[in-house]
Amino acid sequence: MTGQPWLAATFAVIMIGTAGYCLTRLAVSWRWRRPTDIHVDGMHVAMGVAMAGMLVPRLRLIWAGGWEIIFAVGAGLFAWRMARTASARWARAHHVAHGARAGCQTHDAQHLLGCAAMLYMLVILAPITSRIAVPHSAAPGMPGPAAHSAVPLVLAVALLGCVAWTADRMSSMAPVADLAARQSGLAVRAGATAGSPLAAGAVPAGAPPAGAPPAGAAPAQPVPLSPRLSACCEIATGVTMGYMLITMLT
Amino acid sequence: MTSQVAGAWRQTLLVSAGRAAAPASRTVAPDLTRRLQLMLAALWLLDAILQFQAVMFTASFARTLGATAHGNPAIVAAPIAWSAKLIAQHAVAADGVFAAIQLLIGLGMAWRPTVRLALSASIAWSLAVWWLGEGLGGLLNGTASPANGAPGAVLLYALLAVLLWPRRQHQQAGCAAAGRTGPQAVRLLWLVLWGGLAGLALAPATAAPGALSKMIAGMSGADPAWLARIDRQVAGLLSHHGPAAALGLAILLAVIAVGIYLPEPVVRPVLALAILTAAALWLAEGFGGILAGTGTDPNSGPLLGLLALAYWPLRQHDPGGSPALATGSPRAASQL
Repeated sequence: MTGQPWLAATFAVIMIGTAGYCLTRLAVSWRWRRPTDIHVDGMHVAMGVAMAGMLVPRLRLIWAGGWEIIFAVGAGLFAWRMARTASARWARAHHVAHGARAGCQTHDAQHLLGCAAMLYMLVILAPITSRIAVPHSAAPGMPGPAAHSAVPLVLAVALLGCVAWTADRMSSMAPVADLAARQSGLAVRAGATAGSPLAAGAVPAGAPPAGAPPAGAAPAQPVPLSPRLSACCEIATGVTMGYMLITMLT
Repeated sequence: MTSQVAGAWRQTLLVSAGRAAAPASRTVAPDLTRRLQLMLAALWLLDAILQFQAVMFTASFARTLGATAHGNPAIVAAPIAWSAKLIAQHAVAADGVFAAIQLLIGLGMAWRPTVRLALSASIAWSLAVWWLGEGLGGLLNGTASPANGAPGAVLLYALLAVLLWPRRQHQQAGCAAAGRTGPQAVRLLWLVLWGGLAGLALAPATAAPGALSKMIAGMSGADPAWLARIDRQVAGLLSHHGPAAALGLAILLAVIAVGIYLPEPVVRPVLALAILTAAALWLAEGFGGILAGTGTDPNSGPLLGLLALAYWPLRQHDPGGSPALATGSPRAASQL
């Protein structure tokens, strides 16, 4: 792989940031029980660290062969999730709206593709990783390690298509503030229907101040972690992976 | 303590694995116009990544741009030479900016709230690159040919941005391309484009003896062996039948051009033929030199194919064809 060292370093910084943020999501999810897709966040952490190490060899953390195992397991996991979603969709074909299930399946396919691309890069790049950060290690126009194959190009185009798809989905994702408002609204309604005087519009003496959960309200469900920021991580990971695959061509 | 941690993780696992995402987002199935916009966005992203290749940060990129000035009228050539000189002096900064612009255009098209802004930016950027980077596609210096990417791949990006402009809510259209421009105008654009390509196929750059053969062989220089072999074989076949092949190509392109005016059942095969022709032209173009590491875009083949898809007649009750989704408005999307 060839490329500008400063550009590789920039992408490495973005990947470290992505991995760090997703690690934080996992920690917050565990500590405050806030829902998130831990498989996806975990895979973003792994991909971020692995790609940073491939872009800047000094950042390599894991022994040779370790990443291959991790991404093979990741690919198996997302393939299993896809199969599970497909079977659930088939079983509930007459009861469940198709759009949402198809969306989940596409999402899993995207991560499966990411794991496959990582495996491909690790297997192809393994013998030549020392060349990654060397400026102009191959003369421009000279064939690179994967020059005789169209596989990197196909993978890159597919990943960039997924990036576009993810960015499109982002606009239909609710911001965290909306999700929080929705959750607290649901909690209030649940309390009201449980026989609270609030149901009749009465204000009891010593009512709690505005914003505080009213007496009798059901405990609010934890608000999911930002789906939009998770999508941003997918976009960053996809673009970086596309860059790495294309630079393998030259 | 260990069991508490394990319990917490088990609970987190239970709410994860896809179920948590369900209330956080409502998946909206995009219609054909939106899908084509996303394909265009993906092509812009690919262009951005190609612009990040090491060779683009060197003076040879500026030399390639400067070479397009040759044979053009002075009024066209002078700005090309000036911009090439400027890029050569600041190769790294200029290429970084170019790549960033294309990345932003691609992401902007893919994100619904900025679709219109990104499409507008893509039109302006494409026209600037068509002049300063492609020398108006070689139309004025006699080198333009359907087999080398005429009328300039980047011009097709601008055309697609116009045709795929988000249509108004509840606005019906016969095809994705006819959203805002109207069916008569889009048919005329198709006729001019493919008719123009047919005309170029009869020009000396393509129809002269040996011209087509030399052109295809010349583009296979740094390609991978398997692609270079295909190109060499095609070039060998055309070496003795160049003018006849050019005439055949011109007739094929002319049929595609006028075919858009035929009744709907016939239009579909014509569009399928256009997609196949675009694929063949892309092969002749050596996939735009991407596999050789010298391409900044995939050339005209994929864009002509995308254009043909944009003209594909829509069904009356397309399940994903709600006009609200084609508006590019997040509000419209969230209403569904």
